[in-house]
Amino acid sequence: MDTLQFLFDGFLVALTPMNLMWVTLGGFLGTIIGMLPGLGPATGVAVLLPLTFSMGPTAALITMGGVYYGAMFGGSRASILINTPGDGAAVAATFDGYPMTLQGRAESALAISAIASFIGGIFATFCMVAIAIPVARFALKFGPAEYFMLFLFALSATASMTEGNRLRGFLATILGLMISTIGIDGQSGVVRFTFGVLELQSGIDFLIVIIAVYALGEVFKSFNNIHTGKTNVQKKFGKIWITREEWRKSVWPILRSAPLGFFVGALPGAGGTMASLMSYNNEKQLSKHPEEFGEGAIEGLAAPESANNAASVGAMIPMLTLGIPGSGTTAVMMGALLLLGLQPGPMLFQQQPLIIWGLIASMFIGNIILAVMNIPLAGLLVRVLSVPPKILYPIVLGLSFVGAYAISYSIMDFYLLIIFGLAGFLMSKAKIPSTPMILAVIVGNNMEQSFRRAYKISDGSLGIFVGSPICIILIALTVISIAYPVFKGIVDKKKKSSSPA
Amino acid sequence: MRKEKVFALLLSLIFALTLGLTAEGQGDASGNGKAAPAYPKGVLDFVAPGGAGGGWDLTIRTTAKVLKDSKLVTVPMPVRNNPGAGGSVNLASLQEKKGSDKIICVYSPPLILTKLAGTTDLGYTDVTPLARLIADYAVFVVAADSPYNSMADVMDALKKDIKSVKIGGISSAGSMDHIQFLMMAKAAGIKNLNQIDYVSFDDSAAAQVLGGHIDLFSTGLSEVLGLIESGDLKALGQTADHRVGEGVVGEIPTCVEQGIDATFVNWRGLFGAPEMPDYAVTYWRETLAKMVETPEWKAACKTNGWDDAYMDAPEFGTFLGQVDKEYTDILKDIGLIK
Repeated sequence: MDTLQFLFDGFLVALTPMNLMWVTLGGFLGTIIGMLPGLGPATGVAVLLPLTFSMGPTAALITMGGVYYGAMFGGSRASILINTPGDGAAVAATFDGYPMTLQGRAESALAISAIASFIGGIFATFCMVAIAIPVARFALKFGPAEYFMLFLFALSATASMTEGNRLRGFLATILGLMISTIGIDGQSGVVRFTFGVLELQSGIDFLIVIIAVYALGEVFKSFNNIHTGKTNVQKKFGKIWITREEWRKSVWPILRSAPLGFFVGALPGAGGTMASLMSYNNEKQLSKHPEEFGEGAIEGLAAPESANNAASVGAMIPMLTLGIPGSGTTAVMMGALLLLGLQPGPMLFQQQPLIIWGLIASMFIGNIILAVMNIPLAGLLVRVLSVPPKILYPIVLGLSFVGAYAISYSIMDFYLLIIFGLAGFLMSKAKIPSTPMILAVIVGNNMEQSFRRAYKISDGSLGIFVGSPICIILIALTVISIAYPVFKGIVDKKKKSSSPA
Repeated sequence: MRKEKVFALLLSLIFALTLGLTAEGQGDASGNGKAAPAYPKGVLDFVAPGGAGGGWDLTIRTTAKVLKDSKLVTVPMPVRNNPGAGGSVNLASLQEKKGSDKIICVYSPPLILTKLAGTTDLGYTDVTPLARLIADYAVFVVAADSPYNSMADVMDALKKDIKSVKIGGISSAGSMDHIQFLMMAKAAGIKNLNQIDYVSFDDSAAAQVLGGHIDLFSTGLSEVLGLIESGDLKALGQTADHRVGEGVVGEIPTCVEQGIDATFVNWRGLFGAPEMPDYAVTYWRETLAKMVETPEWKAACKTNGWDDAYMDAPEFGTFLGQVDKEYTDILKDIGLIK
């Protein structure tokens, strides 16, 4: 009952005209920021940091929250329309979202993305109200060994999902892992593979790799036909909505992915990218016709969209309940809390219930506002497809460089952007999938460090990796994720050969 | 055809907006700079050598805010983030701005430690110290249900079996969180310091000690205030030479009280570019001396759990030389430098 009372009070806070304005503004800015390559929620919140100085803590948190999940809504727009994700969490939206656009189904794709994001966000907010504390406590059971196994599972599942060319999938994974070893090694303090370049000591930001491989890669690919005049410009646009059939296909994937995303988001250090990729892999394995995934299956877009929004809500849990940042974005938000004179931690709920419950209530409201805002906005955005590539791609190129610079204000990142852009282009020519590489760059360093942390804690015994039920479940899932596609391949072959020719 | 043009225009607008946003990230202009004396003139350049939301960022933004609110400085003081390589990226770019009177940046022990670790050739002698402002202290925390109840418990366990207590921290090996624990261990009479297991985590290390995955978390007092106050973490000792803060935090004993004769100060101070002109140095020494007396500054220190540790430039310079020697000794002990 207490919770409901607090939530009610929270709504009173969130529904004041000023706070409604902030959440709308935050959501709108977040959507725009999310759409631009390289400008994700973390940058968006960081950019807002100076502005929040002059606001009260409640308004500041509500605005930053709006930017966070607004960016999750917006992040997939560019993924769907021009194959250039704005953030790690939006990578999975390219898999089926872009093929849908190529088939002329961009309207459905944008609609389902908004709907799935909305359901994922609302579901996760309900979870947060109901089970934030137990979830936070359960997440504490994840030690280095559990994290290592979780990352291993996510990587192997993604690599083995790359249909038909599993070997290339693993090759891409290894390339990504190699990139992730660059920088200072935490366990020894030794600098690795930086070739004396100071900027490389902090490692290569995965966002650079994402922008390079997708946005620049897309631009390079279009070089071939940019002057021939033969371009696939779409001239006619339908209504931004989905058919009953598409809804029927998506509803379960959306509902299944929301809790998954919520939980993965609540694990400090895992985040939206992991959540969306895991839900995608999950749906592909559960699907009766996995061959449609990657060719414009609507459920392949709905699932990760639901998961990444749920994850952005989940990521607030460690911050609000324990004062521990759960993601890059919440780390910046925590810094903002301190600037506003609030001490994040378990006492925050007791000391400042109105601020926290106001934030939670604003998540309900913000998700509704964003869903309402995004459908008409999508109607406008979809017209980007009518822009001829010779106008569109230079703009994408410009935005990519601005986005890359916004990450750490370093010129060095421009060179990296070009290098990885070319690498991405060559990879696509060699038919090496880029997603496993991206995921490996994102989790690689954390995975390696987790392994070595666990190894140190156990005094060099590998037993720690099978030492808890969570580890054993994750190992089992990893084995299944590798064995299942292989096994299924064999069965399918037998079926083919036994059926009468 | 016309629609296309309109759309292209719209895209260009978004592009321009982004440029604006990034420029915004580079700083928020505040104040209007009227009635400025000969110095400072124009826009100053306040730099956090780390990312938005971090400790350095918090310190420099708070400083800028207090200077503005107390009207001590009336020219704009936008804050810029120049992160990378534990502050070394900014240190390197400062060398290209020798003699600048505009740049004010914040540093703390990593200024000295990164050079000792060998990851950069630049150190505290390559900047101009202006004032030490605040101090945070190290605190050693364990989970609420941990068998350890004092620093002595931990040190005894280590003396019996050097591998029995796993120390976790946020910084990498050989950096602050690691060094501060070793300095206590050394003072407690532990000889084989290099065999103590230190595990480096990312930002979420507090979750690891709460979950019982590491035995002890070596961190800054202000980082875990919330978890100590709530009773989720038990603080065994802090490294100031006096009790710090009030309430639960004020009850944390110092290491010195527990018979470990050592202190560790996570100082944060302001620095200018190398060869900063004398008039600028004088101005900032005077201004900062006034700032630390303002009620705004005192209030900010209180909410952030900072200890006022003001020190004027000459003493600060001497102090830096002293800590440089202390850190060098401990890093030699664990074999990270020869």
